[in-house]
Amino acid sequence: MNKQDGILIFILIILSLLGMAFFYLSEKDGPKKAVVYYEDQVVLEIDLTQKEEKTYQVEGFNGMVTIESKDGKVKVASENSPLHLCSKQGYISSSYETIVCLPNKIVVAIEANDSLDAVAK
Amino acid sequence: MKIKKIMGMIIVLILFLGAGYFLLRRPYQEYSLNLFYMDTYIQIKFDTKKSRDDVKKIKEEVTKIYQDYHELANRYTEYGQNVYYLIHNTSEEEVITVDPKLYELLSYGETAYQESNGLLDINMGCVIDKWKYYRERKEGIPTDEELESCNSVNRLVLLGENQVLNNHPNIDLGAIAKGYATEKVKEYFESVGITSYIINAGGNVVVGTPQNKDYYQVGIEDPNDGSVFKVLKVTNQAVVTSGGYERFYEYEGHKYHHIIDPNTNYPSEYMKSVTIITDDSALADQLSTTLFLMSIEEGKAYIERYPNVEVIWYSNDDEIIMTEGVKKYE
Repeated sequence: MNKQDGILIFILIILSLLGMAFFYLSEKDGPKKAVVYYEDQVVLEIDLTQKEEKTYQVEGFNGMVTIESKDGKVKVASENSPLHLCSKQGYISSSYETIVCLPNKIVVAIEANDSLDAVAK
Repeated sequence: MKIKKIMGMIIVLILFLGAGYFLLRRPYQEYSLNLFYMDTYIQIKFDTKKSRDDVKKIKEEVTKIYQDYHELANRYTEYGQNVYYLIHNTSEEEVITVDPKLYELLSYGETAYQESNGLLDINMGCVIDKWKYYRERKEGIPTDEELESCNSVNRLVLLGENQVLNNHPNIDLGAIAKGYATEKVKEYFESVGITSYIINAGGNVVVGTPQNKDYYQVGIEDPNDGSVFKVLKVTNQAVVTSGGYERFYEYEGHKYHHIIDPNTNYPSEYMKSVTIITDDSALADQLSTTLFLMSIEEGKAYIERYPNVEVIWYSNDDEIIMTEGVKKYE
């Protein structure tokens, strides 16, 4: 085994370690986030680890739905529907809470690691 | 020298195999499906190694099951020979034929009626509508005359071979359809080899065996403040709660909710909520309503005939009463 062989093996070891690290990290669950669905499609993901207030808009069945996040919480700020049930709901912050805007077919769910899978009610 | 070269080649080979394994293995992937049927947001998550095409087919099939039962049990819109048709059809025939799946569901309802000594009654549509009218206005309650007018509505008569008497019974399958459809979805998942799944049909929760952990954690909502008062560690179980705290209205200082006692034609007030844990989602749905319609003492005696059913009552005095076996899920 000459010097070049050694270098080649070294490079391959580094490459495969990087590859393993990539797969390991990509399989690990991310930090806390809010996932916004329109029917079955994910239309927005909001990182809930950030503190500052942020505003987002997604297209609902009856027009634009405005979503706000702050301090690890998320709420629907405004939407167009007869009863405005989902904007009246206010902030949610736990993974077992969801905001459902039935008329707009929009659902806001929270995904976090160490939490409940569902709540019976 | 030669040995070192062979060693080197072996190391390279191992590295390639390792990299290949990481690239080619198909890991479990999590998929989710959100549906809106039966007035409910239904959230489904499952894990599988199956291909994208297979997953697409599975999602379509699950959607179809919920859509089918949504349409069959629908009281307000006609979809073929469904419940609306049963109530409102103008056919002169003495006997009508309904969809076989609906017939099976109606028979399930009939059995639940027998088993519950008449407490869980799918013939309550008329009374439920009277209450719904006032609940939506958030004011007033049905008059005695209004409720008594429901006494003249005919009861469902099953004749076998998907045939029922065409006497326009006012059927409401709200207490059983969701759990029944969810049980069908569970059976479908198992038939295609998906064991890691969680279905949350508006708070009716059904779980399989999770792929990446030992159990699912299912919380139970506190009827007083919407927090979680208990967490259960479950696999292959349905967890279903009935309570009056989600859909209700207040009138003259009294709360009126949506679960009606057929003995009084008024909302039942024995407890704040009751939760059933058992492996059959249809049975869990049926029993949660049945137990909500009797006192906690009666419920304790009633539930003894069902093996492997555990119950958590949340009394009007905020006392939490559990059957012995709930311990194994704590």
